[in-house]
Amino acid sequence: MSAIEMHDLHKTYRSTTAVAGVSLTVPEGSIMGLVGRNGAGKTTTVEITAGLREPDRGRVSVLGLDPRRDRRAVRQVLGVQLQESQLHSALTALELVTLYRSLYRSGLGPAAALEAVGLGRSAGTRFEKLSGGQQQRLSIALAIIGRPRVVILDELTTGLDPEARREVWGLVDGLRADGVTVLLVSHHMDEVERLCDQVALLDAGRVASTGSPATIVARAALPQRVRFDAEHGLDAALLRALPEVEEVEVRGRGVVVRGRGDLERAVSTSLTRHGVVVTGASVERPTLEDAFLALTGRQAGPDTEVDR
Amino acid sequence: MSPTTEAHLRAPGLRAWMTLTGAEVRMVVRDTAGLLIPVGLPLLILVMNALGETDHVLPGTGGRTVLDIYVLPLVLTMVIAVIGVVNMPSFLAYYRRTGVLRRLAVTPAHPSMVLVAQVLTSLLQAAVGIGLALTVAVVGFGANLPARPGVALALGLLAAAAMYALGVLVAAVAPSGNAAVAMGLVLFFGMGATGGMFGPTTNLPDGVARVGEVLPFGATVEVLGTAWAGGGIDATPVLALAATTLVCSAVGARFFRWQ
Repeated sequence: MSAIEMHDLHKTYRSTTAVAGVSLTVPEGSIMGLVGRNGAGKTTTVEITAGLREPDRGRVSVLGLDPRRDRRAVRQVLGVQLQESQLHSALTALELVTLYRSLYRSGLGPAAALEAVGLGRSAGTRFEKLSGGQQQRLSIALAIIGRPRVVILDELTTGLDPEARREVWGLVDGLRADGVTVLLVSHHMDEVERLCDQVALLDAGRVASTGSPATIVARAALPQRVRFDAEHGLDAALLRALPEVEEVEVRGRGVVVRGRGDLERAVSTSLTRHGVVVTGASVERPTLEDAFLALTGRQAGPDTEVDR
Repeated sequence: MSPTTEAHLRAPGLRAWMTLTGAEVRMVVRDTAGLLIPVGLPLLILVMNALGETDHVLPGTGGRTVLDIYVLPLVLTMVIAVIGVVNMPSFLAYYRRTGVLRRLAVTPAHPSMVLVAQVLTSLLQAAVGIGLALTVAVVGFGANLPARPGVALALGLLAAAAMYALGVLVAAVAPSGNAAVAMGLVLFFGMGATGGMFGPTTNLPDGVARVGEVLPFGATVEVLGTAWAGGGIDATPVLALAATTLVCSAVGARFFRWQ
């Protein structure tokens, strides 16, 4: 069964089309990354899924339920972390977790939830006095306080330092281990590559590409580099003859081969066949970020303004 | 377990309502500046008036004075009105602007929970403000308690319901936090001016006075004054307050927005 199913979603704000036919299936227990530049329709897609907005056209279901029609049932099983949402400013972290816990039928213990996101020591600190990273962690605690089966995380680690990011990634891994389905909206390709089973790349309100991070990288067909040292030198023509190879650079013993497809295997097979002794081989593969840039033809990252 | 089991279909229980109300009370208590106007301003007006010639006994009121019949009802009305029409909508509008309501919207909380928690919190604030004003009036200036305390209490609650319903409506229709505060203040001073806050309504043009009498502020001053004096309660202001409560809360709930 799929945890989230979107079918042909459309949404237009006045004259701006935010989402123009998004269809997406998130299998239960998997982590789906939703990426795209600002204005690609990520936030609108998430808001429709969370039941905050009604699509002009199309359907969405969460565990077989309609987020708006079956609002009450969906709210108990869907946890949401929203971008830029404030909480009651004068309440402490523990008071907020207790408040949100009281809204759900079942869930985590408030103190345990704070521990889980590393806020155990800030339990008595008011929301307005928490640092940006702490507020972010608190919002994650609130998203999982009702022990949801599906979680939407919007810009999960924005504003966190590298160490905190890793901790939060650990939390998401923990959700996966518990069989929770996650829809992760992110600008950080390293995060998506690290956490997500599947990625959906949105561009101009449509799904431009879906698949595992590796599939998407492969689909972009970007060049990769193989570097190695040839102990006794190398005849570059040997490698130039391979169909995968585009360019060979030899500097003394150091060799850099640029090409596409299964470059690494083609190069190593050829070298072995010709008895070339090689040391210190490494492969530079294109990242999801490279693929993202190639597939959307624009910059990733929070450089442009509003997302709607 | 299927997500559609019965447990999931039940709305959040009493504990959730109490927790949310407790959270709102903490917000108000910790926002000490916000208490200044609803508690301090009426108290100031009470003291300024009571220092004047207000110990004049009115005939046929069982020895009650101008302070009892005119000043005290006006002061209590101001407490209820400021909290209901100005403070509560600005809190709600602030919550909407900063995304507090949007965040709650994706939990099982129902909009009515948020509104009821606000109203309960406002009632508590009003009780504190009224208690303080009454204590100062009685202890400091020898004011009398109402001739019909039960009726005064019931009418006070009805007045509070009407003011809060109006506040909920303001919060629901105001496009921004600033607009909510502005609308609240305009309503407060507008209703106050036509309801006797700045002097007897007999000084006003007849038509204006008529309208002011049935607006929540004027109607509240009127019914509380009567409850203090002990005469028969006029049906018109009571009906006006009841109608305000029903219409404003229905329209407010209908147009309430999370974001």
